[in-house]
Amino acid sequence: MNKIGYSVFFMFAITLLCTTLVSVIHVVTRERIDLNQHAKLEIVVLRALAVRIPENSSLAEIDALFRQRVARREISGRTVYIIDQADGKTPQGYAFSVSGPGFWGPVFAMVAVDASLSTVTGIEFYLHRETPGLGARINEKEFQRQFAGLSLNMPVAGGKYFTLTPAAPGKPPSDLDAITGATMTSEAVEKFVNREIATFRALLLESSLTTVPKQ
Amino acid sequence: MEKSQPAAQIIKAGLWNENPLLRHTLGICSTLAVTNLMVNTLVMNIGLLFTLAMSCCTVSLLRHVTPDRIRMMAQTLIISSYVIVFDIIIKAYLPEVSEALGPYVGLIITNCIIMGRCEAFARSNPPLPALLDGLATGIGFSLVLFAIAFIRELAGFGSLFGCRIMPASFTPWTIMIMAPGAFFTLALLVWLVRTFAGDNGTTQLQGPKT
Repeated sequence: MNKIGYSVFFMFAITLLCTTLVSVIHVVTRERIDLNQHAKLEIVVLRALAVRIPENSSLAEIDALFRQRVARREISGRTVYIIDQADGKTPQGYAFSVSGPGFWGPVFAMVAVDASLSTVTGIEFYLHRETPGLGARINEKEFQRQFAGLSLNMPVAGGKYFTLTPAAPGKPPSDLDAITGATMTSEAVEKFVNREIATFRALLLESSLTTVPKQ
Repeated sequence: MEKSQPAAQIIKAGLWNENPLLRHTLGICSTLAVTNLMVNTLVMNIGLLFTLAMSCCTVSLLRHVTPDRIRMMAQTLIISSYVIVFDIIIKAYLPEVSEALGPYVGLIITNCIIMGRCEAFARSNPPLPALLDGLATGIGFSLVLFAIAFIRELAGFGSLFGCRIMPASFTPWTIMIMAPGAFFTLALLVWLVRTFAGDNGTTQLQGPKT
């Protein structure tokens, strides 16, 4: 009985010791971790909205830039980031996060559109589990750059704004280059990005955001 | 029981004679998962080295007061605490690497090398030799991981630590950056080492067997 009592005491003591150590480290670093996660999303939004982030900016500077240029609004439970023109009154564009199933797991992208909702101005694929070197190349600049200038006025065949097909000369502007060797990822991206842009566009058109300038 | 081995012997065992990957084929999971980029491998190695050395030292310090019956519970607790500490630290100071490694940092807890060394060595040796054993084994593991990552990143991306090495005309071997590439590389490496070292895979384990 005594043996069991000692074992329980020992386990209790060592658990207390270990959890104290972990808790102390957690408390000490919590603020920094929050800031990191915060800044990561802010960087994605700023990049999608084509706001230039000065090189070697600290996390606090990025946060300040974000607060200065970007406003956050909720429409039907989804977050929309609004960027104003230099005068600070009329909106210049909107950014929103879209997601859908990729080949290995969910893929998240931040899509930016202009104030008239007629053109995509940028896209940032910021979270995915696609194959390195293949599907993971969706977050390369060359791939993402193609989306800038994509027209949203008239969906092409099948209700899509864009299609991803193998690179070829003389393709229409809505026909973007897919990633060679990543057919599944390209198909998945084409599907959910098209669908989600349509959904968000409808939400934005319904909302008061697009007509009423933010105060 | 408390007769400790000379330091040189402990180091040699960790690096070569009892190299966890080449000799005992332990810790394969993380080897397959993180060796497609040198940077990820570096962080995984630092994490394992930190956890292994600290856990071995702690288990050794507590060896006289730990009841035998519940020693594995205690070891798991110690190991997981160190892993969580490491995970929090890289989340705070290296967020990008933390994201690239994803769940694999947490999975250091289940790396059999750590508990293996705690059981086989730290439990029955004084703290300093135990720390040395942890470091030597960890470095032995790290060197093999670096060798595999070197081959995989060079062949799979044409780069090392993200810097392009191979000429632009080089076609990357995509298979090398996926899990099968790690299987091939590791198997070849183990085969080569065992063949040239004249080892037939029957190395004796040191320390008490339980």
